[in-house]
Amino acid sequence: MTHYDVIIVGAGPAGMSAANILKDKKSVLIVDEYYHYGGRLLGQLYEESKDSWWNGMDVARRLHDGLDEKITLRLETSVFNVDRNDGAFTVYTNKGNFTSDYLIVATGAKENSYPLPGWELPGVMTVGAAQVLTNFHRVAPGDAGVIIGINPLSMVIGMELGYADIDVRKICLPAENKFNKVTPRDALETLMGLGTSAPSKFLSISADIGSRMSMLHGLALKLFPSKGIKALGLPISIKEKVVKINGAEKVESVTTVKTRADGSVIKGTEQDIKCDFVCISDGLSPVSEITSLFNLKHAYLESLGGYVPIHSEQMETEIDKLYVAGNITGIENAKVAILQGEMAAHHLLGNEDAVKITLKRIGDERKNAKVKFHKDLDQARDKLQLYWLAK
Amino acid sequence: MTRRILNHKILGPKKHHIVPFIWNGRTYYGAEGESITAALLANDIRTLRYHESDGAPRGLYCNIGHCSECRVTVDGRRNVRACLTPLQKNMHVDRQGALPHLVKGGGANDSL
Repeated sequence: MTHYDVIIVGAGPAGMSAANILKDKKSVLIVDEYYHYGGRLLGQLYEESKDSWWNGMDVARRLHDGLDEKITLRLETSVFNVDRNDGAFTVYTNKGNFTSDYLIVATGAKENSYPLPGWELPGVMTVGAAQVLTNFHRVAPGDAGVIIGINPLSMVIGMELGYADIDVRKICLPAENKFNKVTPRDALETLMGLGTSAPSKFLSISADIGSRMSMLHGLALKLFPSKGIKALGLPISIKEKVVKINGAEKVESVTTVKTRADGSVIKGTEQDIKCDFVCISDGLSPVSEITSLFNLKHAYLESLGGYVPIHSEQMETEIDKLYVAGNITGIENAKVAILQGEMAAHHLLGNEDAVKITLKRIGDERKNAKVKFHKDLDQARDKLQLYWLAK
Repeated sequence: MTRRILNHKILGPKKHHIVPFIWNGRTYYGAEGESITAALLANDIRTLRYHESDGAPRGLYCNIGHCSECRVTVDGRRNVRACLTPLQKNMHVDRQGALPHLVKGGGANDSL
């Protein structure tokens, strides 16, 4: 069994940035299940400000180029168990087992879905699947699609489909059922809450909506046109819900209904929209299976995306020499993930000055974040710190 | 229809090294090193599997290894996630189908 100073699980922004800090001082193994490094940087593409683009594939390449031959990167390597005996971690994978003194878990996030009749048909996929196909594989998910779910991720990816000349026919909500409870009010809050620091394109959405209607939600909801609005070239409809996805062997159409401001269905408004693919998007949640194996305390914080292992601002966990970084600690953008990876590495190396500087940079990045995944993120981070101090 | 995005407004052109592979006994072409899901979709193939229990068609869903909806047989190995597997020249990929229900009352088809 090969022994390393540090094993990092996940070759995304957090894992690779940690490795870049550690590479000259420690022996490092990074494992990742995918066949390409980069994690969910692969596919990211948006305009941060005029003519300045965030291209996740380029960012991944730069992080990878920095690693040289100094670290070992094992792709197509799935971790199925971890444990710790006599102070050493053992990581069990489909390519053999490895041991280490330190473990950094940077497993990222997974997408949540809205279950709907017909969602198992070929051609229905998560919005992230469509993103990876379009921007990384460069294979169109279809000619014309409908996106179910209104959130920052679904709108960014809706725009990305447009850059590849793929027709987005509608972005709307899922019908209410046992699992789906999202209302027009939730969607409006998302649109309005994108914030003043959002990318220029986003800003135009909120400004567009804001100029047309009052900030008072009740009124804005009533005034929101029932046929939806066109913003960023996307047909956004907060008072329209998909009730089912239709097709024999694959997606052929979706059936929508119009709703009132409170989300109640207006009878007789059923309409079929033809499409050959459907994206479902209910946001992201942290992938915390590996930290769960250690029986660490996890806290459920909705604005962080779900269960996150309790951790310090320096990325420590309750177990000595076990660190977390990136979206496993809560859903934020890739720049925060990169800084969190660096933070874990600096703390691991005992570099106090770098820890202080990185802490400030994380705070600044959160303040200036171009894409905010949740409006209550700061409160959730504060709460998590209290949990950590009280552990 | 699906298509390859050879020229992208922002990302620019992309070159592929096209290789043959075998899907259910027939020869198709895909880009070497891309995922099997991408190679099949570029050939307009969406049904990757028929469900073990009721035989309903299933395709890729999350495309990054979490959901396991895209499992196929690769070079004789069953239940390989197509989205995590890079395409290689002359790779044999097969669709999996419904399984027989050996125990009465054990599957959805028993009521048919």
